Amino acid sequence: MVKKKRDFQEVAAAAEPVSVEETISVNNLRANLDEIKTYDGVVGYILRNSTSAAIELKDPTKIIDYAIISSSALDAGEELSKLFDLGAVKDIVVEGKGVKVLSLIIGENRISIFLEKDADCEKILRKLH
Amino acid sequence: MDNEAYTFALKNALNEIRNVCPDITNTFMFREDGEIIVGDENTSQKTMVHVVDAFDGIFEKADVIGGVECITIEGSNGKVNVSWLNDLYFVTVASRKADMNYVNTVTRVLIPTVLRLLEKICPTPLKSNLPLTKTKRQPKIPMVKELEKPEPVAEPVEETVMEEPKETVEAETKHEPLLSEPPVNQFIVESLGGLLVPSDTVRIDSEILSQWEELYEGRKIEEVEIGTFDGKTMRCKVKTIKDSKYELKGIMQIPEKIQLALEIRKGELVRAKPIVE
Repeated sequence: MVKKKRDFQEVAAAAEPVSVEETISVNNLRANLDEIKTYDGVVGYILRNSTSAAIELKDPTKIIDYAIISSSALDAGEELSKLFDLGAVKDIVVEGKGVKVLSLIIGENRISIFLEKDADCEKILRKLH
Repeated sequence: MDNEAYTFALKNALNEIRNVCPDITNTFMFREDGEIIVGDENTSQKTMVHVVDAFDGIFEKADVIGGVECITIEGSNGKVNVSWLNDLYFVTVASRKADMNYVNTVTRVLIPTVLRLLEKICPTPLKSNLPLTKTKRQPKIPMVKELEKPEPVAEPVEETVMEEPKETVEAETKHEPLLSEPPVNQFIVESLGGLLVPSDTVRIDSEILSQWEELYEGRKIEEVEIGTFDGKTMRCKVKTIKDSKYELKGIMQIPEKIQLALEIRKGELVRAKPIVE
């Protein structure tokens, strides 16, 4: 069993070499998001790329709903960008009566930050860009 | 004043908004249920349907954030804004140069004024003049009921993409009741192991299984189709989570064999929909 496991890990490593820079940038992003999470009015975030996903939410019962909104917002952004020739999507903001969602794509990372309605999006965007 | 006149008045108002703000390239309005009311002369029916479809997922989960009041998509060449005005969603597409404060001031004054005026002249409920614009975000009820309702008569429209000959659909419904489109849920992957664990079965919250079964009028859901964000899909059996620590957390417990086949790992997100045959 041990041998089999090791073989698999080696194959995975050979098939998908992870660049050091990429790892560092994801780690930086994660660190920034963890800091953003402490800002006033931030409810949580979802970070996803092709190899991993991280979800930090104050209310874990809403994970699925928030994940769907996050994914739908980013998909809608890409879709409408193609349809209306909007160019690269900088950010997408979905405002509800209680919560707003700020979504953006940095590299291959798809990020959504959930905030209380009056929280400051600009401060977050400055931090992430 | 009939619907046609309503539509005409609103269409003119939208065209005027584009004249006042030349940086606006497209405007249109739709209802909360996805029915398109009217668009300016620059925006095709197909485009409007496409946009409403693109927002489908957001509107379906809008309750979680207290209903959608506004959506803004900011691109390097332009932006899209969707605002909630007088019980309608108003969409504007503008170029990068557009002064959104000016655009919003114009639209938020002009559109409610026109709507109020129309309401005063003749308080007819605002309905689309184009029945073909209904998008997939329809109430998930058996389609037979929907077909029994008389459809409003309308002029023929060029983009007849979604309309099927009614008789054909009715004939089909006689053989077998049509099922609503399967809901797609997202889950966080959690490993499932153990000696007696079947390698072809995943586990999810009993609540979600019950919701799915309720949607399909009590049919037992025994299989799901799992999809990864890389586009890999797999069909496997489904049961409810036994371990209470994983309940109500949006988790799907997946045996290692399936994880390897789908090239996913613990902590990643997957989509799943029920299979009903």
